[in-house]
Amino acid sequence: MKKLFALLAVVLCISMLASTAVLADNVVKIGVFEPASGDSGAGGKQEMLGMQYANYETPTVEIGGETYTVELVYADNGSSTDKAPSAAQQLVSSGVSVVLGSYGSGVSIAGSQYFADANIPAIGASCTNPQVTAGNDHYFRICFLDPFQGTVLANYAYKELGARTAYSLAELGNDYDQGLATYFKQAFEALGGTVIADSFPTGTSDFTSYLTNAQMYSAEVFFCPVSIAYSTQIVQQASSQGVTFPILGGDTLDSNVVANAAKGTDVNVTITTFYQEGANPDFDNGFKAWLNSNNEYLTNNGGNDMIAAVSVMGYDTYYTALEALKAAGTTDSAAVKAALPGVTLTGVSGSIAFDEIGDAIRTSAFVKKVDNASGDWNFVTEQTVD
Amino acid sequence: MKKKLDLPHILTVIIIIAIYAAVFIAEQHMPPTSMLFTVLKKGATYALVAVSMNLLNGFTGIFSLGQAGFMLIGAYIFSIFTIPVEHRGIVYQYYDGGVIQFTLPVLIAMILAGLVAALFAFLIGLPVLRLKSDYLAIATLGFAEIVRTIFQWDKLGPVTNGSNMLRLFPTFNDFNIKNADGTVAVYLSTIIPMLIAGVCIAIILLLINSTYGRALRAIKDDEIAAEAMGIHLASHKQMAFCVSSFFAGVGGAMLAMYQTTVQAKSFTTAMTYEILLIVVIGGLGSVTGSILSSFLFVAASEWWLRFLDQKQVINGFEVPLLRNGFRLVVFSFIIMIVVLFFRQGIMGTKELPDLFRKKKTAEGGAK
Repeated sequence: MKKLFALLAVVLCISMLASTAVLADNVVKIGVFEPASGDSGAGGKQEMLGMQYANYETPTVEIGGETYTVELVYADNGSSTDKAPSAAQQLVSSGVSVVLGSYGSGVSIAGSQYFADANIPAIGASCTNPQVTAGNDHYFRICFLDPFQGTVLANYAYKELGARTAYSLAELGNDYDQGLATYFKQAFEALGGTVIADSFPTGTSDFTSYLTNAQMYSAEVFFCPVSIAYSTQIVQQASSQGVTFPILGGDTLDSNVVANAAKGTDVNVTITTFYQEGANPDFDNGFKAWLNSNNEYLTNNGGNDMIAAVSVMGYDTYYTALEALKAAGTTDSAAVKAALPGVTLTGVSGSIAFDEIGDAIRTSAFVKKVDNASGDWNFVTEQTVD
Repeated sequence: MKKKLDLPHILTVIIIIAIYAAVFIAEQHMPPTSMLFTVLKKGATYALVAVSMNLLNGFTGIFSLGQAGFMLIGAYIFSIFTIPVEHRGIVYQYYDGGVIQFTLPVLIAMILAGLVAALFAFLIGLPVLRLKSDYLAIATLGFAEIVRTIFQWDKLGPVTNGSNMLRLFPTFNDFNIKNADGTVAVYLSTIIPMLIAGVCIAIILLLINSTYGRALRAIKDDEIAAEAMGIHLASHKQMAFCVSSFFAGVGGAMLAMYQTTVQAKSFTTAMTYEILLIVVIGGLGSVTGSILSSFLFVAASEWWLRFLDQKQVINGFEVPLLRNGFRLVVFSFIIMIVVLFFRQGIMGTKELPDLFRKKKTAEGGAK
């Protein structure tokens, strides 16, 4: 009993500490709904860096003639759909005007209903699954969608690489992988090619049998839109097996970690992504200087100052939110939601405008390829779908 | 034998009624977006699952780690049968709306979720319950993994939606009674899950305090002695396993309603460990402990500690270390302290009425 009281006392102290939030006048709160732990923790942190940099660059916003300080409120959704609802609720109860995120479509969908119930709009930076925005009027996104990306990749494989047989490998149980693989297959077969689709169970670390399979079917391209951890292993094992086909991936592969894995090998890794470093030198230099100013930022970025496309998307979502706040003229979330469909701006990743579903109108994706000597990403082309 | 209603039991009943009344009143008056309700909903779900796991691990001495697997079955069965037909086209986007084109009422779907989980438990119980201790744990752990992989298999996609999410089924918010114009008249979204969990836990309690329950405890203490007294080991273990899985299935359905989405990916062994942790913190063999610790666990991990992820400035002084991710460090630390200093868990093997009894006998002692 005594112990129980002691425990309760501790709990009470903690909750009291929690409630001593700091309040200043004229603050507008923007929720950051991103994973900082779990499988997508690395990607989530990179996306958050973009938002933090944007916040550092523009910490205030003019709403209805008054200057408001922007406060970013973080909620870690743990990359998991069973943690996402409480993270979403946390943001709702702290009174945010608009929510940014999340990295990973699954958690975005899981949190979505909680934002809808509170009439708070959300802007996705890199969640590409059509289901995030379909049927909701409160979820928006500034990136392209999986059907588009799958088609772009299929077009690139068929037309530019001249492949007629593709081997596609996705993680079992991962809706991102499976969705993109499905759209790739549809588009590639519509063009006249053949796709051999395969899946691997979560936690696989030996991909040699899949690579051998692909060689057996004499595949001319190896499509693997998998998570970063798997893709580095695939690249390394492809190199040791001496494969000849290029490895093709989606936006998840756009990471310095993957580029490093391909460095010094002769594996051709080609991906589609939202942004190519060098497209906007002002942003690149500013962001790099900011990253290098703090060791914590560098660690969150994966140890070096290479710019991840998701950081750029995070940066653009922040400015989209600011535009919406300005257009609404108030910090009331319902007004922001009403203002969002009309928001247009020119972001670092290109011009941003929303269609009637709430998706960004995007017609092209960047294709880039690893430079095997330096371990950098090289711009290949800007691929559009016709 | 007629049960005597003594003071501790009356007090317990009063406390339980008071808690339900407080929640009901709070729900009508506090904003529905308050974190409190989220925690109560998830806490109720976890409490049910933790008690069902305690029935096996704490009362019967069967060390099973298949809880996440049974929850997954429950969650899937529930959501597959409750997604409105008009939404099936959106949800089963890769499978042309799926093969199931009818819906069941929520409560029937929940019971079905439990029954299917129990059926699976019966089938795998036949071979698996012959094993003991570690081997049983490994076999049930393996079962949970196999179930997850089967549900993700794309050949079953028209039923399970493969690797993709199930969503748009009824959630806790649909329990709210609404006026004709869509505004909520009576908030029931927190009290109903708590009631469902309460009824289920009450049924488990009745089982524990019955002849069967005493037989289960005898099995836990000494299997040979229990068998010598005439307890049929296999059938009693099988029963405990099926009952536990039934309620894990119902718990899975509740988790689905709480999450508003279901994806096999999230039912990992980590989820089983989380529930095992709750059971151990609460006390192996204490229903009250499991309930208490699940609410504390959920509140601490999802609510009270979240401020650690934010930078805090108090009187111009920036508190060091506070940054995104720090919460998990503190949380692990707290769990370590609890496990080190509360070896028996919060409650040991005591129940709520025992607390009053102890206070009564040790009158004048520490309060």
